[in-house]
Amino acid sequence: MTQNMNVNVHHVTRVEGHGNIVVNVTNGKIEKCEWQVPEAPRFFEAMVRGRHYTEVARITSRICGICSVGHTLASVKATEDALGIPLTKQAIKLRRLLKHAENFDSHIVHVLFLVAPDLLGAQSVFPLVPTHTEVIKAALRLKRFGHEWGSLLAGRTTHPTRVVPGGFAELPTSKELATMRDRLINEVTPDINLVLDVVLSLASRFPDFDRPTEYMALHDSEEYGLYDGQIQSVMPDHSKEQWYVRDYRQVTNEYVNSQSTAKWTKNKLESYSAGALARFNNNYDQLHPEAIKVAKALGMKPLVTNPYLNSAAQVVETVHSVHSSLQLMDELLTSGIEQEELGNPTKHGEGSSAVEVPRGILFHHYNYDEDNMCLGGDCIIPTNQNHANIQHDFEKLVPELLAAGKTEADLELALEMLVRAYDPCISCSTHYLNVEFVK
Amino acid sequence: MKYIIGIGNYAMGDDGIGLQLIEELSRIQLPSNCMALELKNDALGLFSYLLPETSAILVVDCVKMGALPGEWRIFSPEEVRSLKRVAHASTHDGDLLQILELARATGYSIPPLRIMGIEPDSIEPSMELSATLRERLKGYGNVAARLIQEEW
Repeated sequence: MTQNMNVNVHHVTRVEGHGNIVVNVTNGKIEKCEWQVPEAPRFFEAMVRGRHYTEVARITSRICGICSVGHTLASVKATEDALGIPLTKQAIKLRRLLKHAENFDSHIVHVLFLVAPDLLGAQSVFPLVPTHTEVIKAALRLKRFGHEWGSLLAGRTTHPTRVVPGGFAELPTSKELATMRDRLINEVTPDINLVLDVVLSLASRFPDFDRPTEYMALHDSEEYGLYDGQIQSVMPDHSKEQWYVRDYRQVTNEYVNSQSTAKWTKNKLESYSAGALARFNNNYDQLHPEAIKVAKALGMKPLVTNPYLNSAAQVVETVHSVHSSLQLMDELLTSGIEQEELGNPTKHGEGSSAVEVPRGILFHHYNYDEDNMCLGGDCIIPTNQNHANIQHDFEKLVPELLAAGKTEADLELALEMLVRAYDPCISCSTHYLNVEFVK
Repeated sequence: MKYIIGIGNYAMGDDGIGLQLIEELSRIQLPSNCMALELKNDALGLFSYLLPETSAILVVDCVKMGALPGEWRIFSPEEVRSLKRVAHASTHDGDLLQILELARATGYSIPPLRIMGIEPDSIEPSMELSATLRERLKGYGNVAARLIQEEW
């Protein structure tokens, strides 16, 4: 079969930042098949040097505007580890609740505004407004709720102000938390059910593709790992292994690849997957029963090895976050929100942390001197951990699509959808307006 | 409540002007009925401020509008047309005009909203503003603060 194809997507749309897809096929032979990320270094790890421990999370929260809460939590946790800063049970519960809020908010945007148009054959959410008005209204209400939920706990979801080393600078009142709980039941649940009906009706439209890989996520013995735990990976043969968070470099093994300015990572195989699907595959049994019901309705049970279903795993996690948060809120309201003193440093040295942000496992590490000034930092973000896995997916998917006689347009769409499934967040995104005046 | 909202990306030079201006405003005592906040790239977060009790929103953003680098202009969304490729629009790209279009299409009431657009000099990977915008940052802050307090 003679096939010539040139797929050259510069800046995949509906992802945050710039990623390129380049595939060249000549006479049926694949000459180039690359996922390229032209991201520039931002030197956050250098910026924290010489900063007091109370300032570090303020700086590193700016690594990402979508996962700003996650970076703040990872940052304060690593600082608390390094400086031996104690944390109360109430603070831990509030942070777990905040982590749910962030994942809920981000998953809603990704699944309903970025992935759903692919499943409905549209180029964006905008053409869907006339045909899917009620679902989009529900999606917007859910997004708005996620933002307000996170803001109540963190002060604001973009560059949080309330989460500080040793606890919270300001706490929500019991009344505010009770109101949020009531809204979760009375406003969010009906909208989630409406959205679930639509997602379940579209489940068969996720592309059929399998590539078993290593799946890495946090595992927490107490709950479905999001805020805390140890590093765990599950292999295609279902075997699992765990590592202490302080040994994160042993499992990430960052390296430089010529097709990307972002560093790549690998552990036991040539690449591993991070994100909702990795969490699902590692911690399925710890999902809330209502989330497991949704997983079953979607036909998902570990190991799920179709990377397109990362978005479906995000739907499962969204339901998990709603129900787990209700439990957390009930516990907090039963005990009552109490004003607490911030924990203070008891030692100095190195500390590490890991948090599951929407796109996967996030590592922060800092070193502090005896004056609690930061000597250096290390941050390994999940989007970068997924780049090598996306590349290996491409290398399996493209030959399969060619063998199936797919057109260049089919190829382009399939690869774009694959990239979007990982929900990458690349730092070179821009948000400026480009306008001409009409009045 | 009145809001001054910054949108942009710190890592892309002048694209971060909206965020830098919000930080600049932290040095100015705004009245209690005014709040300055950053949405960064979470433009959909704007929906949380489209409320009946919101009396005004001033969005500060980097805007390519054919002016000289560093020049600013205050305008309403109705006064401009987006030149971004509509076919590839996505909410994740944070195009404010399309977010407002989505709000209108889904029945949201838009409070009085104006945009303070600042023409960029350089949009490329950098954690710093161009010298042109950096030198004028304090002036932009004064303009935004005065506008939200006095003219609305």
